[in-house]
Amino acid sequence: MTISRKCVPFTPFERELSKSTIALITAGGVHLRNQEPFNIADELGDLGYREIPPDVDSSQLIVTHHHYDHTDADQDINVVFPIDVLRDLETEGFIGGIAKKHIGYMGYTMQLKAMYEGTAREIANDIDRGSRADAVVLTGG
Amino acid sequence: MKGIPTVLITVSPEVSAQMRPPRALYPKGFKIGNSLGQPGMRDLQKKVLRDALALLTQNTRPGETITIEYPEYGEQHEPPRVKKLGT
Repeated sequence: MTISRKCVPFTPFERELSKSTIALITAGGVHLRNQEPFNIADELGDLGYREIPPDVDSSQLIVTHHHYDHTDADQDINVVFPIDVLRDLETEGFIGGIAKKHIGYMGYTMQLKAMYEGTAREIANDIDRGSRADAVVLTGG
Repeated sequence: MKGIPTVLITVSPEVSAQMRPPRALYPKGFKIGNSLGQPGMRDLQKKVLRDALALLTQNTRPGETITIEYPEYGEQHEPPRVKKLGT
């Protein structure tokens, strides 16, 4: 489906947070240590993304991104990818659960059309089909 | 696919507004790289994430960015501006 570039793609949320499963998607270049880093050598940017499992040990998450200062995220990944914070909110009962899949990508690209029409749709489809998320929290760097 | 509700936490509200996010929270004065706060500030990080998630249940105007101040963050930073052509 193609939507107008002036349209705000608003999907209503009609559930209770305490019964909802939440996924995280970050443009902050977050990925697992053992996953292929984003290609920061390519001046056009990297259009790929990495899946992050819900039970990830946050100390195994790192940032590959050269368009923001990620010194703080290197110390505590939760400043851009709040997976431990989400777990706390689940424990408190503020949310119902943590989705089966989360996503990191590098939100810098000179290939805007390919990012908007390709990568973004792939991520949305991946989350829609594979994560059982009721809602998504998006973060940048 | 019918769509998944989303909420954005942005520290560059003017820049991210160009992509018309359906719901967005701007924690005022947070610097780039600190979307949830500073390292180790777990209580603040929880507060920001709770506030962002709460926007899902509030009657926000589609495309609106909600600004919230968190004094415990400390030093305030100016967000980046969108460069306008000819300026």
